[in-house]
Amino acid sequence: MNILILKLLLGGIFHKKLRLILSILGIIIGVSALFVMNTFGEAAKIKTLQEIETFGPEILIVVSGQARVRAGRALQAEQTTTLKLEDAQALRKLSAIRFISPLYTGSAIIRYHGRNLSTVVQGVNEDYLKIRKFSLYSGRNLLKEEIMGFKKVVILGHKVKRELFGDEVADGKVIHVNKLPFTVVGVLSPVGVDASNQDQDDQILIPISTAMSALFNVDYLSAIYLSVASPTLVPLVEKQVDEILLRRHKISPKDRDFNLIKAEDILKFKTEASTLFSSLVQSISILCLLVGSLGVTAIMLLSVNERRKEIGLRLALGAEKKMILKQFLIESVCISFLGGLIGFLLGFLAILIFLPLLKYPLVLPLKTILVSTGLTVLFGLLSGIYPAYKASKIDPAILLKGL
Amino acid sequence: MNNILLQLQDLHKTFQIGKISYHILKGVNLTVEKGEFLAVMGPSGGGKSTLLNILGLLDKPSAGLYLFEGKEVSSLIMRDLAKIRNEKIGFIFQAFHLIPWATAEENVLLPLLYRGKIERDDVERAKVLLERLGLGKHVNFKPSELSGGQQQRVAIARALINNPTLLLADEPTGNLDSQSSKEVMDILEELNKEGLTIIMVTHDPEIAKRAGKVKILRDGVFVD
Ligand SMILES: Nc1ncnc2c1ncn2[C@@H]1O[C@H](COP(=O)(O)OP(=O)(O)OP(=O)(O)O)[C@@H](O)[C@H]1O
Ligand SMILES: [Mg+2]
Repeated sequence: MNILILKLLLGGIFHKKLRLILSILGIIIGVSALFVMNTFGEAAKIKTLQEIETFGPEILIVVSGQARVRAGRALQAEQTTTLKLEDAQALRKLSAIRFISPLYTGSAIIRYHGRNLSTVVQGVNEDYLKIRKFSLYSGRNLLKEEIMGFKKVVILGHKVKRELFGDEVADGKVIHVNKLPFTVVGVLSPVGVDASNQDQDDQILIPISTAMSALFNVDYLSAIYLSVASPTLVPLVEKQVDEILLRRHKISPKDRDFNLIKAEDILKFKTEASTLFSSLVQSISILCLLVGSLGVTAIMLLSVNERRKEIGLRLALGAEKKMILKQFLIESVCISFLGGLIGFLLGFLAILIFLPLLKYPLVLPLKTILVSTGLTVLFGLLSGIYPAYKASKIDPAILLKGL
Repeated sequence: MNNILLQLQDLHKTFQIGKISYHILKGVNLTVEKGEFLAVMGPSGGGKSTLLNILGLLDKPSAGLYLFEGKEVSSLIMRDLAKIRNEKIGFIFQAFHLIPWATAEENVLLPLLYRGKIERDDVERAKVLLERLGLGKHVNFKPSELSGGQQQRVAIARALINNPTLLLADEPTGNLDSQSSKEVMDILEELNKEGLTIIMVTHDPEIAKRAGKVKILRDGVFVD
């Protein structure tokens, strides 16, 4: 019989359905925004962590030029030509360094059997794969002799291989990079977009020697990748590298023509950016909720006014004012909660669709769900106070005034 | 003495609107015995509804005594008044005042909501009451699906669900055609014969004739 009591108490909520939906629209929007944004924030954080994982906390990059990290991306403010292969050789002497690879980045048109595409060319040495922890899908790594011997050999990124060769075996085939013939020696396993927002599957790796001479004809590097024996040694190595390069370039720290980037910097920047973003979004969502609950208040006031006869009747039939107050408070909490529920379901639907689409990991932030539930109940209660008070002040004597 | 249900002694009611006060009831004296069927008539604005509101504990008198079952009630606290309304007094209104979103049966059960619980028994009782009032087939109808006479009969069933000692009716036939009016009056008469005390306000002399006693309220006092 409890259902009957519930219906007699709260049946009025569903009497005017269109109005009900209008009154909870704000809550729906607020809650779904709150939910979606928090989920996205959470997913982005996890994704960044995963990216950093492949990047590795023991990696240090020397980037040529006045590079800065902005929005999680290493930006070069100006191209400088001062970072040389000899710098890399000098750094190799540091004892804490395990692997080191010079890097020259350019772009080129590559061609195989009439199929053309433009991609990123990375001139590296045999250590690069180990530093980046890239694994091979097929074939082998570049050999030290090939680096020394200016050989025209190439490792293809996974996407490049797919686009040029499809299912065909690529190893041993000859492709043309800016019209020069290169022999494919290996193919990388899929990596995806890394912490620097570069698609690591859309690139090819060739010996640094070949890149600097035959292909691009330059005498400087874009960067040097270092992998330190242990992450705890990174700060020390960072200092040593800085000193060595400043001395070799004969410049003072304020004229530094290179920049040292470590995984930690990127992580810090990304989380900072996402915290700022999510707190902004959170305030907007809460504002939305607030406006939404004002909507509930307005509709509840209208409803109380319209249902004065019903309220008077309930009083005449033996309701205390306290019960009327309670009834309308419960009504507005229920209405808000309903809005919250719909908002949550919509938000859930949205993340089910969009997270996989954006290649974000699917997460369900329990904390957000609890917080937004709590907030809607709270706002529902707040928005109901005034209407409920109004309802409890209605004089049952109105029942006997004609119609 | 034991047979008296309620008594009004020199009852006054004044409404204050802004600075002006309207003296509506000017010393009403009334004794209603158990089992009585009293019709109250009088000119519009004479204070009949005001009196009924006070009798039904929906309003408080400005001065005077109101004894219900021998107890002074106008000084009781809200909660006790609500309890008496719920358990002892049934109301019928000119405009029925049924809840539009509830079925006939649910409307009848509404007073039980404020008694705390609704048992299977009660639902059964509501059905029997509706059946008795000729609405056996309309238990699950919404008010908008019922005629005026049928709606008023649902309202009567609602007034009876808690077995009240007093039934207050303000122009119960005011919104009904003559056939429905007759049906409603037949029911009231039957209920009165079973011992229910009824006080009814009406404008219609024909309707008033059905009551055992008629009193005229004019200018805030009963005149004979
Ligand atoms: N809450 C109130 N505030 C101020 N004046 C009121 C209030 N209730 C009733 N009155 C006044 O008291 C007078 C009597 O009203 P009441 O409704 O009791 O008359 P009535 O005899 O029932 O009339 P009718 O036959 O038209 O229903 C009217 O002049 C009305 O304006
Ligand atoms: Mg009246």
